[in-house]
Amino acid sequence: MTDEQLTAEVEAWLAAHWTGAEPHHESFGRDPRSVWLAEVRDAGWAVPRWPAAWHGRDLSDAQGRLVEAAFARAGAPGAGQDRTNLWANTALAHATGEFRRTIVAQLLAGEVGMCLLYSEPGAGSDLAAVRTRADKVEGGWRVTGQKVWTSGAAVADYGMLIARTDWDVPKHRGISFFFLPMKQDGVTVRPLHQITGEAHFNEVFIDGAFVPEDHLLGPLNGGWSVLQTALAYERSVMGDRARGPRSGAGGAKGDLALLALAREAGRLDEPVVRQQVAQAIAWRALNALNTRRAKAELAQGSSSAIMSLGKLAMSRILHEEARVRTMLLRAGSLLEGPEHPRAEDANFLALNAYFTSIGGGTDQIQRNIIGERVLGLPKEPEVDRTVPFREVKAG
Amino acid sequence: MQENEIAALVEPVARLLADRCAEADVRRIMASETGHDADLWRALAGLGVTGLTVDEAAGGLGLGAVELERVLEVAGAALLPAPLLSGAVAAAALAGTGEPLLAALAAGERVAAVAFAGALDWSGGDVRVAGARATGTARFVPDAAVADAILLVTGDGVFLSEPARVVPLPVFDRTRRLADVAFDAPARQVADAAAAARARDVALVALAGEQAGAAQRLLEMTVDYARERHQFGRAIGSFQAVKHMAADLLLESESATSAARDAARQVDEGAPGGEAAVALAAFACADAFVRVAADSIQMHGGIAFTWEHPAHLYLRRARSGAQLYGDSDWWRERYLSALEEQA
Repeated sequence: MTDEQLTAEVEAWLAAHWTGAEPHHESFGRDPRSVWLAEVRDAGWAVPRWPAAWHGRDLSDAQGRLVEAAFARAGAPGAGQDRTNLWANTALAHATGEFRRTIVAQLLAGEVGMCLLYSEPGAGSDLAAVRTRADKVEGGWRVTGQKVWTSGAAVADYGMLIARTDWDVPKHRGISFFFLPMKQDGVTVRPLHQITGEAHFNEVFIDGAFVPEDHLLGPLNGGWSVLQTALAYERSVMGDRARGPRSGAGGAKGDLALLALAREAGRLDEPVVRQQVAQAIAWRALNALNTRRAKAELAQGSSSAIMSLGKLAMSRILHEEARVRTMLLRAGSLLEGPEHPRAEDANFLALNAYFTSIGGGTDQIQRNIIGERVLGLPKEPEVDRTVPFREVKAG
Repeated sequence: MQENEIAALVEPVARLLADRCAEADVRRIMASETGHDADLWRALAGLGVTGLTVDEAAGGLGLGAVELERVLEVAGAALLPAPLLSGAVAAAALAGTGEPLLAALAAGERVAAVAFAGALDWSGGDVRVAGARATGTARFVPDAAVADAILLVTGDGVFLSEPARVVPLPVFDRTRRLADVAFDAPARQVADAAAAARARDVALVALAGEQAGAAQRLLEMTVDYARERHQFGRAIGSFQAVKHMAADLLLESESATSAARDAARQVDEGAPGGEAAVALAAFACADAFVRVAADSIQMHGGIAFTWEHPAHLYLRRARSGAQLYGDSDWWRERYLSALEEQA
């Protein structure tokens, strides 16, 4: 099929099915667009690069982009989940049997809510130190432990869980990866209040919760490598996910917000202010140029080292923008509350910048990853790498 | 040009420079009186490099800023001491004029230098072109001492005038020779203000490419060393104190590369917003190269404090480029002004 034929087919399908607004239906915790998403899935547009047996159309990456572009032009959601749907990609790659068939279909239509059960109070940067245990029982496992930084846990149907299934081997080799059913006794979710005062995350206390046999992804004790593929997806989208001001009163949109704020503060004629505003805008512009070049290089089939830099770059951008906003306000930044939206923004952004510089791997871990995987520098010696986990000091 | 065509253009240049512009060659040319290797220049002309952006009608390749920037990345990586950047700016200034100098530039038979003056002066000169006569001194003009012709590029246009005096300067970066050029003679206008502005943009984009390419190469060398050098029984690159610096420098050098290539594209397309893109590349690439060069010395440790180690050659080049066509603070200011005008 030529590119033109493909685009024409997608456009014709959208013309026949897309009304301009997806039909909503009430479904707490599930994607309210799931009726529409199921249509997209069944037509093969949700995952056009996947095989036909898995809701796809066996298209090349370039042709997949044409599908996404046609959907974007129509303003219709749901296409190109083979690139963006963390849950479905992980399930397709590692789930097995009937569960794989069911869960992949549900995930593509947003019919099930998901959350991540990775980090623990004693296993943050050192994720392989998880102490949540999954003990074998008849027909599955019983899980006990505590997870943190889980968003969407209160409404999720499943959590992607890493838990220890063997304590007598080194830490990376005794972890398994599960889809844990969340709606059961033994799973308790409590909101976790952040430094911004919001509660986007939860703590999850797991006490003897049951996970069925076929909800194991990848081999038993092979969870670490499953986790790596899942984390790679997560990091690749993190750079684009940073949030803007809370008040929504930031003035001009996007890159030039700082310029507008400086003008509003009456300080655009101060050379020092102009230098700092220009540099902060430049960091963001440079990151956008990097992202565009990375995408172009990937589209040409060459691997790009730049992709891994986006999250680190975004950390600097967010911290710097918050610093410049604060500088512009001077003592005005001492206030808060709805009467002082500029101060609210500056202070919120100064705190929320840590969401990016800590979440999803701290800047320091990110620099290790860039140093080791991109630049090929050797790893630090790890004193616990070969020690049975039972004997490892952590927490 | 498509990416594969650009690769085919750049690859022979890189090969030539690996062979004829290795560190020992750079040091030999640095130590020479003129800082110019005529044989190497002829070899570059043989690859078409000297006529890269010269009009095809004048025997050049007729390519744009995009291709020039990529060749300059390779030249910067090798610290090429040659009047390549000057020649490319001259070609841009003379584009479409049919001046006989163009053909001589393309053939590598003559060398041109460019003095930015008047509204385009960044270096405190006092050249005035009035009544078809140029007077005053242009300062810090690259390659002027080896040039057969010196173009005056001002806010009003491009002029040719016979210099009264060319005074080579004792420079910190001996891979880029500079001279003060005094004028006191008739000046003939050969191109208009638009050509002058384009020459300015080409100069900045070419310099940005040189800086990005040099930063990339120096970072590679530094990372190689961090893998090989062992202390405390480990490669120093395994220490996070060193590794994290390397990761930060990769962000700097990749950002510089993105900025230089984007500015080149915008100059060729004459896109609105091009002025901001050129200004961004000017300070982002200069700052990135200075930081990569400075931190690379620190990461190497004592070995890079020696004259024999090439790291200081890169730092010298970084420091010279960062002042040549206006400093970073000036370009940051221009960047913000351009954004204000767009908004």
